[in-house]
Amino acid sequence: MSDPIMTVKKLNFYYQGNVHAVKNMSLEIEKNQVTALIGPSGCGKTTFLRCFNRMHDLYPGHRHEGEIFFENSNLLERTDITELRSRIGMVFQKPTPFPMSVFDNIAYGLKLKGIRNRAELADRVEQALKQAVIWDETKDRLKQSANGLSGGQQQRLVIARALAVEPDVLLFDEPTSALDPISTGKIEELMVKLKQDVTIIIVTHNMQQAARISDQTAFMYMGELIECDKTERMFTNPKQKLTEEYITGRFG
Amino acid sequence: MTEIGKRKFVNLIALSLACAAAALGLFWLIFIMADVIRHGIAYLTPGLFLNEAAPPGMAGGGLKHAFIGQLLITFFAVLIGVPLGILGGTYLAEYGRHRTIGRFISTLSDIMISVPSIVIGTFVYAIFVKPIGHFSGFAGSLALAIIMIPVVLRTTEEMISLVPWEIREAAFALGAPYYKVILQVVYRGAATGIFTGTLLAIARIAGETAPLLFTSFNNMFLTTNMNEPMPSLTVTIYQYAMGPYDDWHEMAWAASFVITLFILGLTILGRLIIRWKYKN
Repeated sequence: MSDPIMTVKKLNFYYQGNVHAVKNMSLEIEKNQVTALIGPSGCGKTTFLRCFNRMHDLYPGHRHEGEIFFENSNLLERTDITELRSRIGMVFQKPTPFPMSVFDNIAYGLKLKGIRNRAELADRVEQALKQAVIWDETKDRLKQSANGLSGGQQQRLVIARALAVEPDVLLFDEPTSALDPISTGKIEELMVKLKQDVTIIIVTHNMQQAARISDQTAFMYMGELIECDKTERMFTNPKQKLTEEYITGRFG
Repeated sequence: MTEIGKRKFVNLIALSLACAAAALGLFWLIFIMADVIRHGIAYLTPGLFLNEAAPPGMAGGGLKHAFIGQLLITFFAVLIGVPLGILGGTYLAEYGRHRTIGRFISTLSDIMISVPSIVIGTFVYAIFVKPIGHFSGFAGSLALAIIMIPVVLRTTEEMISLVPWEIREAAFALGAPYYKVILQVVYRGAATGIFTGTLLAIARIAGETAPLLFTSFNNMFLTTNMNEPMPSLTVTIYQYAMGPYDDWHEMAWAASFVITLFILGLTILGRLIIRWKYKN
């Protein structure tokens, strides 16, 4: 039945001293499924997402209570951040290609892991680009700057870069909000395909997108988890009044 | 007069004043350049670069010693100034980004950029030349380096700040430690800008005379010992132009031409790189 890869238990998160952004969240992230986090702006969903790969460690003044279980330990207490981040990758709202060639972009994470062998690098770069369905568009321009790609291509390149290190989980923070509908469609298709290999958590403002691609949807409001259920049930028969009002567009 | 007429009138006055000011600046610039080129080319000979100074009154002297001295002083100035400037700029843009000390250093650098260069010369004289007891090439390099540092530092800071923060987060998200993010990602994005800034900073110090008068001083003989008083083109031009001999004046013109051309070339190269960078 349920096979969670990560379990969030009573998570409270505070940043900038005392902003209580995530309140007492408990949630199970199912393995090889897409979990969508929805909710109005400022509800804490991005803050919550960034807990999974410890992005908050970059900034001072944050603290947490509670746990996120991953591989039998609380990832919030782990000290091997580099290893953790190669297991839990992240894709941002704006495409973030590095100012280097397409090849070097994909190879970056691999080199960080200490892979130096040229043949192995070339092999895994190709594999990652194919996995992110951008190989055909980039195979003739591997040596060219990644900045020359279109926005949608850049976003798929960034996904390939995250995939290259073979993560277990991929975090998406509104990955299509800066893209046109066609590019958005390609990325959504890609996310559904990637489910076989990785577990996906996606923050989205687009309710149709959550309905189209996710298996499980969590609705957050003012830092609290209001409701979490199978996406189908969430969008057809929500248990909470607040959820119904949000997904029918009555606020937010 | 109507409201719109008044505005047009004020506009006309402001525009005329601005154009006049620009024309005045341009006139002197072209006047000086034309003069330097006209006189300089006439006296440009291979001997200028190949011969050392001849005793006054004797023909066939050159400025080989000054060219080599200038190159050495500039080289060591770059060696001291550029790494310090780039590292300092990196600190300001990355580690010191939100710190009061960072903003303080930035402001201080802006002030340093406009400090008259002779002040830097006397400063190095007081802390370096005086305690050691003699002028030296190193003192000259130090003075030029001090002039370079704030220029390189501020350019580096600005170029690094132009690299979007999201790019750094993306590198962090792959597990990169901060120093690798800076070395492998941020510097790549800012490289052209930092390089151009460094070129312009070199152009800025290549023409300095005042700070060298009190530090490297001058020398009529070829030397590669940076611990001795060292000749430089600029100080030699100053000395030769003030001297009583005609062939000294001619060589001063030729040397002025060479150094002007060098600085002009460096500046144009810097601009070209900036333009090329924006195109891509």
